[in-house]
Amino acid sequence: MKPSTIIITAVAVLLLAGCASVPPPELVNARQSYEQAINSPAAQLVPAEVHKAKQALAIAEKSFKDDPKSYKTVDLSYIADRKAKMAVALGVTAAEQAKEENANKEYQSAQDQVMKNTKSDLATQTENAKTANENLAAQTQITNETKADLATQTQMTTAANTDLTKQTAITKSAKDDLAASERTVDQKNLQLAAETGARMDAENRAAKAQAALVKLAAVKEEARGLVITLSGSVLFASNKSSLLPAARERLSQVSDALMETKERKITIEGYTDSQGSDKTNMDLSQKRADAVRKYIISRGYSAALIEANGLGKDRPVADNASAEGRANNRRVEIIVDRGPVNK
Amino acid sequence: MKQFYYSITLVSVLAVLILAGCGSAPEVNKEASTSAIRAAEESGASKVPSASLYLQLAKEELEFAKALAANDEKEKAESMLLRAQADGELAVALSRSVKDKTEATDAVERVRQFQIDNQLPQERK
Repeated sequence: MKPSTIIITAVAVLLLAGCASVPPPELVNARQSYEQAINSPAAQLVPAEVHKAKQALAIAEKSFKDDPKSYKTVDLSYIADRKAKMAVALGVTAAEQAKEENANKEYQSAQDQVMKNTKSDLATQTENAKTANENLAAQTQITNETKADLATQTQMTTAANTDLTKQTAITKSAKDDLAASERTVDQKNLQLAAETGARMDAENRAAKAQAALVKLAAVKEEARGLVITLSGSVLFASNKSSLLPAARERLSQVSDALMETKERKITIEGYTDSQGSDKTNMDLSQKRADAVRKYIISRGYSAALIEANGLGKDRPVADNASAEGRANNRRVEIIVDRGPVNK
Repeated sequence: MKQFYYSITLVSVLAVLILAGCGSAPEVNKEASTSAIRAAEESGASKVPSASLYLQLAKEELEFAKALAANDEKEKAESMLLRAQADGELAVALSRSVKDKTEATDAVERVRQFQIDNQLPQERK
């Protein structure tokens, strides 16, 4: 064999070999797509799809090896490329579905958390409401107790006011009584003053009368009162009981003096000497006492205050043995009480 | 006589079958490819940019396969139908991946908004 023939043959063989080793673009794309698939999440998420792509690529490679230029190699490579791309797409789908599922779980978890928080808040609010209700009940109880106390206080105040009113009425009554008592006391005082004045006036008049009587007759103070002694011879004629004219004048003056003390009781006692019978003397002395009483009454003295007694020869003031003594024993005594008659 | 009628009928049927087989293009199974294309269309692949290309290719390959079959190139036609099926299935997968991605994004956004609305702590990712 010639060298040129060998070279030509070698070049031809090389050319043929070179042409045979050049893969179609579809196969190149399939290889690249497969590489992307096994390096994508699809390898983990959809390994079955990646395996299908791998099988498709293997078939394409075998076809390329068996018949590089055939339409089958091109079509199988084309299909292997699409299988690898689909594996990637399904991987994306699985990832997105996982993402969505995770989001849904998270959403559910968030909803649960919100529900839990809501329940917790509701429980807290319920507890707070319960506490508020309890506080309100306590406040209501206190208010009711306060109202009851207030009612009691009001009742007590009313009772106190009633008592106060009564006390005021009692006090007013007491004041009125006191005022009345004071008025009574004043009246009493006035009356007492008047009586005192009257008494003093009476005493003055009595003193004045006594002074006047001293000039008219014998006057002396005794235990039974003021005793005015009038001589029988001055008043009456012998054995007579009618008053002499001179006696009337004398008795008139005595009566005027007695009128100064006309509220006092007067006792008129008639006396005789020891001559004659006792009966005669008693009758005469009584008549003479009556004559004097009658005359004094005629002068204005109260008849009720004048008593007349005939005592005869009793209580002689001198010796009946002598004429002078008997003349002194014939007498009329007018006894004026010390004080006014109590009415 | 009866056997004669049976023979006539059998010969007639066979003749019809032979004539029918000789008068039409070779049958290819387009079911898988057409199903894939229909599924892609139903999944909204025509509205998804990344999927619409493969849907279009699948349709063209189906038509090309029909032409090959009509040209009595059955094997090429079947091979082309496999390509059409592969493109149709890829269009479906891409369309669904985009749809799932959108739904996942919406779900994540819904979670985030819910957390904001309810003042919940958000996870850092």
